[in-house]
Amino acid sequence: MPGRRVLITGVGSLLGSALARRLEADRSFEYVAGLDTRRPSRPMDGVDFIEADIRDPVVATLLPQAQVDTVVHNQIVRRPGPGMSSRSMHDINVIGSLQLLTACERSPSIDSIVIRGSAGIYGSEPHAPQFFGEEMTRLYPLRSRFQRDVGEIENYFETYARRHPDTVCTMLRYQPAIGPALDTQVTRYLSAPLVPTYLGFDPRVQLVHEDDALDALVATVRRPVRGAVNVAGPGTIGLTRMIRIAGRPSVPVAGPLFASVAGAMRRVGLPELSEDFRRLLRYGRAVDTTRLIEEVGFTPRYETPAAVQDYVARRPGGRVLPSLSRAGI
Amino acid sequence: MAGAGDAIAVASLFLRGLRGGLDAGLELPEAVARSAAELPRGARERVRAALRRLDGDYQEDEWGFDTEFVEAVEPFFGFLYDRWWRVKAIGVENVPAHGRALLAANHAGIMPWDATMMSIGLMREHPLPRQPRFLVLNWAFDLPYVSVAIRRMGGVVASPHNAVRLLEQGQLVAVFPEGVKGTGKPYAERYRLQRFGRGGFVEIALRTGAPIVPVAVVGSEEIYPKLGEAPLLARAMGAPFFPLTPTFPWLGPLGAVPLPSKWRIEFCDPIETASFGAAAAEDRTLVLELSERVRETIQRKVLENVVKRGSAFL
Repeated sequence: MPGRRVLITGVGSLLGSALARRLEADRSFEYVAGLDTRRPSRPMDGVDFIEADIRDPVVATLLPQAQVDTVVHNQIVRRPGPGMSSRSMHDINVIGSLQLLTACERSPSIDSIVIRGSAGIYGSEPHAPQFFGEEMTRLYPLRSRFQRDVGEIENYFETYARRHPDTVCTMLRYQPAIGPALDTQVTRYLSAPLVPTYLGFDPRVQLVHEDDALDALVATVRRPVRGAVNVAGPGTIGLTRMIRIAGRPSVPVAGPLFASVAGAMRRVGLPELSEDFRRLLRYGRAVDTTRLIEEVGFTPRYETPAAVQDYVARRPGGRVLPSLSRAGI
Repeated sequence: MAGAGDAIAVASLFLRGLRGGLDAGLELPEAVARSAAELPRGARERVRAALRRLDGDYQEDEWGFDTEFVEAVEPFFGFLYDRWWRVKAIGVENVPAHGRALLAANHAGIMPWDATMMSIGLMREHPLPRQPRFLVLNWAFDLPYVSVAIRRMGGVVASPHNAVRLLEQGQLVAVFPEGVKGTGKPYAERYRLQRFGRGGFVEIALRTGAPIVPVAVVGSEEIYPKLGEAPLLARAMGAPFFPLTPTFPWLGPLGAVPLPSKWRIEFCDPIETASFGAAAAEDRTLVLELSERVRETIQRKVLENVVKRGSAFL
């Protein structure tokens, strides 16, 4: 039986290149291609690197040539990186996904598509159910630009899945990831010398460990299921507890002043807090992971509190506040 | 309230020791350790617990329920239970000792004082005590501090998804089926139960096969005697209503202090739902019938207990 042929977008990212290496080492995959504008930091033997911009219409001719049966879309930008405007973030996310799905339409060999999307689609809402199930996407208006981007991607995805009933389309809705090797909004937030919080709020947040983020993607590529699947470390952690475990001094800021304080912090070189992330700091968000565990058959190794503890234990740079409970009282 | 004086004395002793240590050129952790070593044993335990918490070394479950927090605030709610409201809990043995169960009670006031008193009653009187989780009016979750305290004590947003998940985890869940209609009742209508909506709580019980325990709470409806409303203020604050009581808002925050009425909480005979099967949750007739039965039970028991209680405040 011939092995599977897979193409991964966003292969230059940490997760994308790790996924490519894992699939390349897997005997059941005979061909692994990676598409990105930037080369992965480490060279990858056996992985066919296609240097192209996902926004470029040329993707529509490159993809059918690759003759793949599985496409993993791993190029959704969660935060504007250095030198990236929110405009180009929107272009990569929305136009890129649209181009890719159009290219898939022209590739009859494709039988499964896995998208690494975001649980940001649910938003962070004070009155929301404490655990979002996959069917609860339309409960609240999409408030931020990123949320609207993700909403559009989900719409394209749904249309595609409806038009191609023979293709198994999986939308993985990732909670924010954390881990010593990652550079995400959460890890930047927890590395700041001063950590702003909303005065009088201590939301429950839920994260996914970097190892689980990769393993969940591998598990889904191996065994795709139809529709949306939440990806998160089970359980939640209170924001206060997370900051205390990280040993950071928190600065409570009254709600109405928070956006301007966050802006001022960015100007003095502290990490930027996006609109989504600010709402997360105020109201939190957690999802139900039953589908991931029972249908995809993947149980995350790290529950959310354990993911935070592992990150804190292995991250570069240490505590800012001394740990007093170990003072030997 | 002798505990408060003690705590202040211990804190000042500790801080003086800490200051001395730091002045002598010690590092902070060492100074803390030295200073704590000089405290009496009980106080040292408390300092140790506080420092552990400051390091994030404590447990919250996936709902944000925090056992240590509940234990820490117990004296305050215990005081309300014993002295302020002189609560008498009746029929606690009707609450199942384990497994899922739904407590349905009458409700008054935005703040879930009645839920906390039910939980203190169960923790004190039940042979196998456990903390009930309770569904709270959504509005409270937008309030700073209040929302955090409520979630640490086991409150969750009033959503059927939350109730079902909690029951499936085998929890005891308290609901107030009158909803916002109950909280905004004028004083003259106290102890007249409002309509129970569409019976959503019965659907939840049927879907999960949880028995329903009707609970009649007497006393909660006198703590904030609502004489009128200020709808414009309510709209400005996004609140469901803005109550005017003899003390609120005239006395400022002091007006939010609940009046010391006398309380009785009766847990009634449980109504079994498992035998109907989960599919019965869609049977409108059955849902409304059970909902009405629960309402009648609570109404009857409320009136009985109002009579048994006698004077409302003495």
